[in-house]
Amino acid sequence: MTRSIAGRLALMFGVAVTLVSTIAGIALFAFQSEQLRHHKREELGARFQIVERMVKDSIYAYKWPFITAKLQDFTPPDGSLYFIVESPDPRFALRPAALGNAPRKGPRDGFDKTIISGQKYLTLARIVPAAGERPNVRLIIASRSKYVDETETGLAIGIAVMSLLAIAAVAALGWWIARRSLAPVDRLSEHARLLGAENLAQRLPTETLPAELSGLVLSLNDALDRVEDSYQRLSTFNADVAHELRTPLANMIGGTQVALSRNRPASELEEVLQSNLEELDRMRRIVNDMLFLARADQGEVAANLTVCSLAEETRKSAEFMAPVFEEAGVTLEIDGDAQVPIERALFGRAMTNLLDNAVRHGATPGRVTVRIAYDGDAASIGVSNPGAPIDPVHLDRIFDRFYRIDPARFNDGESHGFGLALVQAVARMHGGSVFAHNEPGRICIGFTVSRTERTAIRHDQGQPGAR
Amino acid sequence: MKILIVEDETKTIHYLRRGLAEQGYAVDYATDGEDGLHLACTGEYDAIVLDVMLPRLDGISLLGALRAERDTPVIMLTARDTVDDRLRGLGAGADDYLVKPFSFLELLARLQAIVRRGRGQEATQVRIADLHVDLIARRAIRGRRRLNLTAKEFALLALLARRRSQIVSKTIITELVWDINFDTNTNVVEVAIKRLRAKLEAPGEDKLLHTVRGMGYVLEPRDEAAA
Repeated sequence: MTRSIAGRLALMFGVAVTLVSTIAGIALFAFQSEQLRHHKREELGARFQIVERMVKDSIYAYKWPFITAKLQDFTPPDGSLYFIVESPDPRFALRPAALGNAPRKGPRDGFDKTIISGQKYLTLARIVPAAGERPNVRLIIASRSKYVDETETGLAIGIAVMSLLAIAAVAALGWWIARRSLAPVDRLSEHARLLGAENLAQRLPTETLPAELSGLVLSLNDALDRVEDSYQRLSTFNADVAHELRTPLANMIGGTQVALSRNRPASELEEVLQSNLEELDRMRRIVNDMLFLARADQGEVAANLTVCSLAEETRKSAEFMAPVFEEAGVTLEIDGDAQVPIERALFGRAMTNLLDNAVRHGATPGRVTVRIAYDGDAASIGVSNPGAPIDPVHLDRIFDRFYRIDPARFNDGESHGFGLALVQAVARMHGGSVFAHNEPGRICIGFTVSRTERTAIRHDQGQPGAR
Repeated sequence: MKILIVEDETKTIHYLRRGLAEQGYAVDYATDGEDGLHLACTGEYDAIVLDVMLPRLDGISLLGALRAERDTPVIMLTARDTVDDRLRGLGAGADDYLVKPFSFLELLARLQAIVRRGRGQEATQVRIADLHVDLIARRAIRGRRRLNLTAKEFALLALLARRRSQIVSKTIITELVWDINFDTNTNVVEVAIKRLRAKLEAPGEDKLLHTVRGMGYVLEPRDEAAA
């Protein structure tokens, strides 16, 4: 139960109301009992005044029996009230028989308490000054406080019972209120239970939620968006890989079966083997690139870092790409420089892919520009080529594996759709990122590398694709 | 020339033995690490091709034990292309490594390179039919015609000439001509070959630079009538 919010709230409400009602109950009881006693004293005081006047007035011994008779008349037979007159002169004394001769020493003057025959009494005593024959006498009225005590007990029980009832009621109400307030949470968990890989588009409802929960749910929905996106990319990626591998496999299986189905001259068989080899080489490259991307996904970072001039490294890649550039009639210009720690092979890999992309997709003849600059904690390398602007919808996704702006160009030989994904992997292995934007008449695609050497190899991030 | 293959995959052994034997190598093989180590320590081999993942004794341990006794050149075959494997392999004393899936041509090229390391000077001049390549003067002449080549084009021609009649793969070309040791998905080599061929083979001249589909390129005179 302590794990349940409703249960805990009910418990806390109970504790709170117990505390409050105890304090209130004690205060109420104290006030009431004080009132009660005050009332009792006033009553006793009024009686005392009447009797005192009678005692005062009787200054002769012969009149005293009248007084005692009258006082005995006043004394109820149930023993709830006694009149006592203590006097050095026995002619002016009064002592009810019920008292026996137990408390020789009477209660103090003023209000006091005493016990007569085992019962509690409230007493009021005062000296009546001597007058005439009468010496100083002490008049005591004892009134049984049983009634007050009983009332007090009753009051205490009443308050206690009321308090207990209130505690129970508040705890129960608290539990009910908490359950009601938490009902949206229950509904959420109902919805959450329906979430799964088979219906990724499902989101938690936010319309009927209280303000305190909607923030949480919005964040959860955002997280679901990201998961869905990664999942979609991953499953699209898997499908693309399968497709990409299935085509050469089908070619090889079919081609080989046809070749073997009858006797053929060696030259024909050779041709089949050569064709197979081409397909196999294509598959080998796909598998190697996938492994490389998987390593980057698993958080591998560049090792063997050396501080290099990025312009110099770019020039090396450009030298390699020179035949392709010349063939296409594209010139290359390298602008700026930065000295940054990089793993040269990885940088070269990214650079050749970017240059290849620029010459493949750029307008020809034309000029490709590589711009290198420091950018805060990083250095950025942007490769721009002339061409029509890319729709912003595609700009974000060109670094996705197998992503092609034009699906019709799915099978265009050399490129198998990993080029810019590899650039992204290299950037990430260097603590950088990728960027792509349209410039007037040109498209610029590039990446950044961190300027600081990160020696620690990260091995977190278990799931590839889930980033 | 004697080669030892230590590899537990029988299909791999089968094609390596056949391929290497056809290239004139004598081939022994072992299918587990302990047999491999025994053979390596007792036989006289010019080079050892060593798989990393082996039963009984893994390749790295085998290499460590071998290096305590001998310095036979070793080419490691690794399945996982991770930095760690590479460093461990080279740190343990491997002379070179190849990542599976590797091409046979590449293995052959690396074996030749390793075995050649201990040899003397290479030829300084190569003559193929009417093509004359002067590797010192960096000059190429076809018949009476001097070829006007760029530095990289000459490097490409020199590579093919030195390995005349051998198939040279694109990977080896990118590695040796441009010093690039990673997979590139570009068609640079095709374009470079095409441009070299245009300069090398004027109309009417015999074809010397041949494309072997799926494998690479070979520089040799071919009897057109027989083809």
